[in-house]
Amino acid sequence: MTAHTLTSNHPARSLTAPPASVIAYARGLVKTYGTGETEVRALDGIDVDFARGELTAIMGPSGSGKSSLMHCMAGLDTVTAGTVIVDDMNVGRMSQRQLTALRRTRLGFIFQSFNLIPTLTAAENITLPLDIARRPVDRAHFAAIVAAVGLEDRLHHRPSELSGGQQQRVACARALVARPAVVFADEPTGNLDSKSAGDLLRFLRGSVDDLGQTVVMVTHDARAAAYAHRVLFLADGRLVQELTDPTQASVLDVMRSMGDETETEHEHDGARR
Amino acid sequence: MTRVALRGIRAHLVRFLLSLLAVTLGVAFVAGTLSLRTMMGSTFSGIVASSMQADVYVRGSEPAASAAQAGSSAGDVREAIPADLARTLNTVDGVRHALPAVSGPIVLVGADGTAVVSSQAPTFGMALHPDDDTLDIVAGRSPVGAGEIALESATLESSGLTVGDETSVVLAGEVQAVSVVGEVSLGAPMAGATIVFLDVATSNAAYAPEGLVASVDVYGDTGVDEQILVERVGAALAAADAAGVETVTGTAMRTEATADINDMLGFVQTFMLVFAGISLFVGAFIISNTFAMSVQQRMREFALLRAVGASPGQVFASILIQAAVVGLVGSALGIAAGLGLVSLVRMAVAQIGMNLSGSIPLDPATVVISLLVGTLVSIAAAALPARRAALTPPVEAMREAGGARSRSLRLRSIVGSVLTVAGLAGLVAAWSRPDPDGPALLGLGAAGVVVGVLVLAPVIARYSLSAMAAVFVVAVKPLGRLARGNVIRNPRRTANTAGALMIGMALVGAASVLAASATVSTRAIVDDGWIADFSVQSAAGVVPTGVVADLRALDTVDSVDELRYGPAMLAPAAGGTVAERSIIVVALPPAALGHTLDFDAVEGTLAGFAAGQLAVQRSVADDRGWTVGDDVTFTTAAGEASAPIGAIVDTAVIGAPIIMPDDAFERIVPSSQIAIDSLLITSAASATPAEVRDDLTGAAAPYVVLSVLDKEEFAGQLAGQVDQILGILYAMLALSIIIAILGIVNTLALSVIERTREIGLMRAVGLGRMQLAGIITIESILTALFGTVLGMAVGVGIASLMPAVFTGIGLTELAIPWGQLASMLGVAALVGVLAALWPAIHAARLPVLQAVSAD
Repeated sequence: MTAHTLTSNHPARSLTAPPASVIAYARGLVKTYGTGETEVRALDGIDVDFARGELTAIMGPSGSGKSSLMHCMAGLDTVTAGTVIVDDMNVGRMSQRQLTALRRTRLGFIFQSFNLIPTLTAAENITLPLDIARRPVDRAHFAAIVAAVGLEDRLHHRPSELSGGQQQRVACARALVARPAVVFADEPTGNLDSKSAGDLLRFLRGSVDDLGQTVVMVTHDARAAAYAHRVLFLADGRLVQELTDPTQASVLDVMRSMGDETETEHEHDGARR
Repeated sequence: MTRVALRGIRAHLVRFLLSLLAVTLGVAFVAGTLSLRTMMGSTFSGIVASSMQADVYVRGSEPAASAAQAGSSAGDVREAIPADLARTLNTVDGVRHALPAVSGPIVLVGADGTAVVSSQAPTFGMALHPDDDTLDIVAGRSPVGAGEIALESATLESSGLTVGDETSVVLAGEVQAVSVVGEVSLGAPMAGATIVFLDVATSNAAYAPEGLVASVDVYGDTGVDEQILVERVGAALAAADAAGVETVTGTAMRTEATADINDMLGFVQTFMLVFAGISLFVGAFIISNTFAMSVQQRMREFALLRAVGASPGQVFASILIQAAVVGLVGSALGIAAGLGLVSLVRMAVAQIGMNLSGSIPLDPATVVISLLVGTLVSIAAAALPARRAALTPPVEAMREAGGARSRSLRLRSIVGSVLTVAGLAGLVAAWSRPDPDGPALLGLGAAGVVVGVLVLAPVIARYSLSAMAAVFVVAVKPLGRLARGNVIRNPRRTANTAGALMIGMALVGAASVLAASATVSTRAIVDDGWIADFSVQSAAGVVPTGVVADLRALDTVDSVDELRYGPAMLAPAAGGTVAERSIIVVALPPAALGHTLDFDAVEGTLAGFAAGQLAVQRSVADDRGWTVGDDVTFTTAAGEASAPIGAIVDTAVIGAPIIMPDDAFERIVPSSQIAIDSLLITSAASATPAEVRDDLTGAAAPYVVLSVLDKEEFAGQLAGQVDQILGILYAMLALSIIIAILGIVNTLALSVIERTREIGLMRAVGLGRMQLAGIITIESILTALFGTVLGMAVGVGIASLMPAVFTGIGLTELAIPWGQLASMLGVAALVGVLAALWPAIHAARLPVLQAVSAD
């Protein structure tokens, strides 16, 4: 154990309380896979804040740890060391049961593909988290969200009868319907054509601007990142750069500069995941 | 390709484990049946070899009416021949000695004061000829006089008696005190037969009072050929002018006896192989499902193989190789399990006093057949999925999220509907026309309906599962809806999985309806026709004649009616073979009609019964074309005798085809073949039932094998026989249910693997572990309930028609045991829960993140 992880194990000492505008944050976050010689450090001591009511994009080359960061923040993966707080709850210390409850009440998810249960209709898919939690559906909120994603006339279709873009919009609606504290989106536009991707991103940004939703999105697409309020850049498990109010050009600039810096390290990096 | 196929099995061992288990169970039954058959065969061959050692047998030339006489051999019963022939034959050159075979029924009282009986094997007494050297007196000496007996070794052991003990026997209808003076070995295990040896004079008096015996056994001098001896014996008989006798060599006789036994065992074997067939059929479902699912999962693997140059044939072969390996290994394990099964059976029958030969045989034929059956079934079951794998183009399989494209169910709907409708038509025809074709039509119709419904099952599943799931959808939100989606998503698979349970439950359903109907029918028959106060019956099958007088002497008894039976032979004019002409007839004292037994004529009248007219069962009359007023002619020892038919009856109180008054009976049936089936007793007006019972029981006690039954007990005893048969059936069906559970486990486990991403997604959006387990359990219960409901509907439906078809054999009432059927549903639900256990735990333990990002 290094001195670094020791301090991370006692976050109270190193913590500086974040401002109230932060809904989720990590301190000294470490995630390793494997042990001994095959040990891989996916996250190497990350301190990060996610602001309430903002769309934050996480970028980085493959193997930079961007997906690991999201999975740890969302309680989908265990944390090796450090603290993760989401909506005032210590995710790293939660039991599986508590994590399950957290996911269905306070978090929303959008994955790159296979977002929907094939046996359920679009409407049933959207209300699935509420049904699982046995909470009543707020009909007005449901209608507003469905209207926003433009799915009114597709509600009773099954996923197999929907286009890829429509499927992702159903997934967005599902992520938002329970009014979660944070929505985590993992490459939500990864499988979409540029038109559908644009629609989806506009909608995600709209949910932040109009509904005050907080969204954390992992992407490797500069165009997608340009919709965010803020872009975090990861490389080799560390936070290396940050952009506020990005444009596609500024994101590309950063990526290019990072590419230059990390070119030599990429070789062993690529073998990672 | 072979290496790829074998590696595939090793990599997915668990997946193949259930298939393996299914093959093992099925083959275990096949191998067990075959080797049990071999073992029983060799036991009985041993008995034949050690108890039939004569070189030449002299016996009656033509088969006579077959008598259900205790102690008769498995073969046909011929006319008796004079025992005196032995004396003539003893003088023939080369004959060491000729012994008349004198044997017949006897009851032996054991050390505990009860009769020595084993449930299935016969009890008989036989003469112990002093010069019979095939018998070995291992302790004591030969019996001399009526007061002494010797016992066969196993009989001595099971009776608990020892040489020197005093006991009693019931011989020729009378109780006699005897002492055990010797132990005799026959040199082979006798499969539980109870054998009592008597001295020659005693057995002659008891079994051959008229000097007639079944055969004379001729033993030759050492070195005299059987064939030569047969010729000499034949010549001697011809010289002595002996008519109606024939001679056969010992070898021929033994072959005949063995063939008879094999026929009988063949029936048992067929019965057991039917169950082996069911379990293999069900096993094939599991194998087919396993391969179908594993093929679907490994599409990309096959695509890769195709892409690097494997031909469709090679892909096909690689899957069949896997199936063959599963089949071979499963069969090998199955053979071992089968042998284990047989040793269990042997231990069980040893408990009831039936010793089977020492070693459990494993002959090459059993091994080869078992291996072949197991392997071929596996390969055949895997052929369809293999074909699908081979025909899928590489590009398509490489595509993201291939998924199962559901094939159309139209062909199935058509074929299944045609079969079902044809089967239903057969059933309706059988039901509306309860003529001799009824049972055959019923069988064909039932087969059509069962196969048709099996084929239709996916179509039925699609619609009925939604309805069945409705309860869960409402009761357990939202799990019910998710589970419903999963079982309906692939109705073909759900139906196939439920197929095993369906077959098992159809059989159980039909059996329980039949049992309930039989019990109710029996009760109805007894209520209608059995008006005696008490009945006396014998555990040995025949009531000793001596007890009749004892009972009549009782003050508390008003009347005792004898119900007697015996074989009769219709005159050749009736047509048909000897076997077709032989018929069992029952005699009643005319006074018994309306007094202890009551049945009505459906045609004609019973008024002439006392005057010597016959009553014939309707089914028999229809069969033979007899009507009221016809004369029925019998062949008897004294020439032909005939009697007119006075009435056609339709009663199940008496099971025999012809009922005749005592005097006609005594003219027609040889007196040596007459046996008392039971006694029907009415109480004296002054006596209470308890007094009568006490008196009867006291009078019957010395005869050991007799029991006194009132109306309730009589009906209960008949019903008990039904229950016994059912017990065996249920035990066998339990096996098909076990295999059905395996099938459901198999399907669920594989569908969990298939749905890994879906499960991951649901867990990610907040589905708890218990909720996930709940979904899988509901799926399992739905599948089990579907199979059970469908199977029971078919089984109960078919069985419900049986009373209409089988009224003639006493199945008059229809009773549907709703309570029992409901408990079967309970069992199905339990099966569902059990089957879901492992797949649910497996699914709940899937790490969310890995599941979401699984391939």
